[in-house]
Amino acid sequence: MTIDAKLIEGFNVFRELDADELKKVAELMSPMSVTEGEILTQKDKPARTFYVVIKGNFMIEFEGERAFTIHEPGTVMGWSTLVTPFTYKGTAVALTDGEVVEMPGNRFYELIQSDSGLCDKVMKRINRIIEERMPFMKGELTGSEQKLTE
Amino acid sequence: MINLIMDFINNTGFALMDYRNLVMMVIGLVFIYLGIVKHYEPLLLVPIGFGILVGNIPVFQGLGLGIYEDNSVLHYLYFGVTQGVYPPLIFLGIGAMTDFSTMLARPLLMWLGAAAQMGIFITFLGALALGFAPNEAASIGIIGGADGPTAIFLTAQLAKDLIGPIAVAAYSYMALVPVIQPPIMKLLTTREERLIKMEEPRVVSKREKIIFPIIGFLLCCLLAPAALPLLGMLFFGNLLKECTVTDRLALAARTSIIDTVTILLGLTVGASTQANRFLTWESIKIFILGALSFAIATASGLIFAKIMNLFLKQKINPLLGAAGVSAVPDSARVVQMVGQKEDPTNFLLMHAMAPNVSGVIGSAIGAGILWTFMTR
Amino acid sequence: MTGLDAISAANGWAIAVVGVTIVFTGLVLLSLAISQLHKILQMWEDRRRLMEQVSNKWKPRLQTEQKIESAPNAHDIKETAKQAKILVQFIGEPFPLPKLLELSGSCGIFKPYSTINALVLNKYLIPDGRGYYRWNSDKKI
Repeated sequence: MTIDAKLIEGFNVFRELDADELKKVAELMSPMSVTEGEILTQKDKPARTFYVVIKGNFMIEFEGERAFTIHEPGTVMGWSTLVTPFTYKGTAVALTDGEVVEMPGNRFYELIQSDSGLCDKVMKRINRIIEERMPFMKGELTGSEQKLTE
Repeated sequence: MINLIMDFINNTGFALMDYRNLVMMVIGLVFIYLGIVKHYEPLLLVPIGFGILVGNIPVFQGLGLGIYEDNSVLHYLYFGVTQGVYPPLIFLGIGAMTDFSTMLARPLLMWLGAAAQMGIFITFLGALALGFAPNEAASIGIIGGADGPTAIFLTAQLAKDLIGPIAVAAYSYMALVPVIQPPIMKLLTTREERLIKMEEPRVVSKREKIIFPIIGFLLCCLLAPAALPLLGMLFFGNLLKECTVTDRLALAARTSIIDTVTILLGLTVGASTQANRFLTWESIKIFILGALSFAIATASGLIFAKIMNLFLKQKINPLLGAAGVSAVPDSARVVQMVGQKEDPTNFLLMHAMAPNVSGVIGSAIGAGILWTFMTR
Repeated sequence: MTGLDAISAANGWAIAVVGVTIVFTGLVLLSLAISQLHKILQMWEDRRRLMEQVSNKWKPRLQTEQKIESAPNAHDIKETAKQAKILVQFIGEPFPLPKLLELSGSCGIFKPYSTINALVLNKYLIPDGRGYYRWNSDKKI
């Protein structure tokens, strides 16, 4: 089951996409309900699906039990699906019931072949998320306020 | 009654099987395993792997069951392979699903796709040196193009008996791109080179995308008319995709048509690897030459990128050269993977798609040239 | 026949050299053609630019509206916060959120995940900026 493009319109990760591109991405995504305590990604396991939060609250736990919580729609979880070595870097768990949209990584790579410009735009956004979250994974945070909302 | 039972037992696959069938079945199971568990080109390896199982069930000759028996169903399906019908249809689908915009944005990267085709011609020389006939050597050389349909197409024209081993070698190595390429890439590039970031590609207009398949078709096919069946369909498929008024046709080409043909091609190519035809010294030589051709193609692309850097103001990341072997989009993904190991913020994937798709065009031209030379 | 003799006999050297040259010529010609294509099209576009500028559309971006599920009511939160504070004191500060979650579950706190979420949303638990959390001493319970 695919999703309506309007559902993901305005999300930071898809901000640069035009209506047609948004539709293409939406066609590859499917909605998924999650219940409190449900684990979406598990650290060190093969990363095959990434998720975008539609509603609900989540926590991602990294090495050394460092963690942050997610409350904003449009936040991406499981970006490791798109970058080497394709293993999840953190464990994402639902703190409340909620909704996400999921996209299998291999479908995204099919999209690269058919519309590389679109994927470039998404990958650039994902890149920013990675840069933002990298300190979390490596434990290199300086103590400034956490702003992990993308 | 005992005679009937004995007859039945003697005609079962168990009774007719010899160790070579078992070896082939193990190979088939390995293909299925790699496809399902390791996700290596599952759309190809699963049908081919199952086809190998199908082709190696020993059957009673004369019943019209085997793929090489004139009146068998499998033989009719195999007709699409031996007459070169399936590969152009696959190219139609590839054209209808491929976005050439990264290549249009940086046409210079196309040269890397051309350089990687050195693998075809060097392997051709190697095969000649090992004693293969020129037409067989040309078919083996094309494995270096890393393009399964092109390899099958040329072999169907030049050396039908070698279709099985060449197709299996080509697809196996395509699936093993993530294993074969990285060591060569690391060996031939320095860390500084792997860290090079590519400049932002320009935006490509819709009109450019529509005009490209027409210009591409005319230029390439006027230069190498023998590439017409493959490139004609590739560019036609791309025109269907880009022209916006034939969405239904483009959708059919990139979904139902290519999927159907891939199933038929994979299954029949797999089934054509009957043990008595496949397990020969020639096949082993083909596999060795195939591996060599992949390595040479990868190295040629990398080295050519380094040579280009000697003359370019804005350096290109030489890893992109490795994507010049077709294998779309796997070799581009490998470039991304190797580049990102050095710098997680370096995104080479989109840039690698340019040599990658130009490699498809280059290998089809290469096949056309070899076909022309061999039939003269 | 094998070796270099076989290559020469089949005219292999010439075929390989000519073959590579044709592949290069084809792709270089194509690259030259497409490198000029956008410039030619741009010239064409410029001729009509004035006419085409009329149809610029402004498309307002729809914001996805999202309601975060309502947190437990004030009384519930305070009750839960009391229990959570004991656990935090037991773990010590700064503490890992997953650890608090684990202890909450084993100590029988009702719906530990959404409880911790409510405490974060109500700022009883605040991130220390290093991936761990602290108890917000400004909050009265």
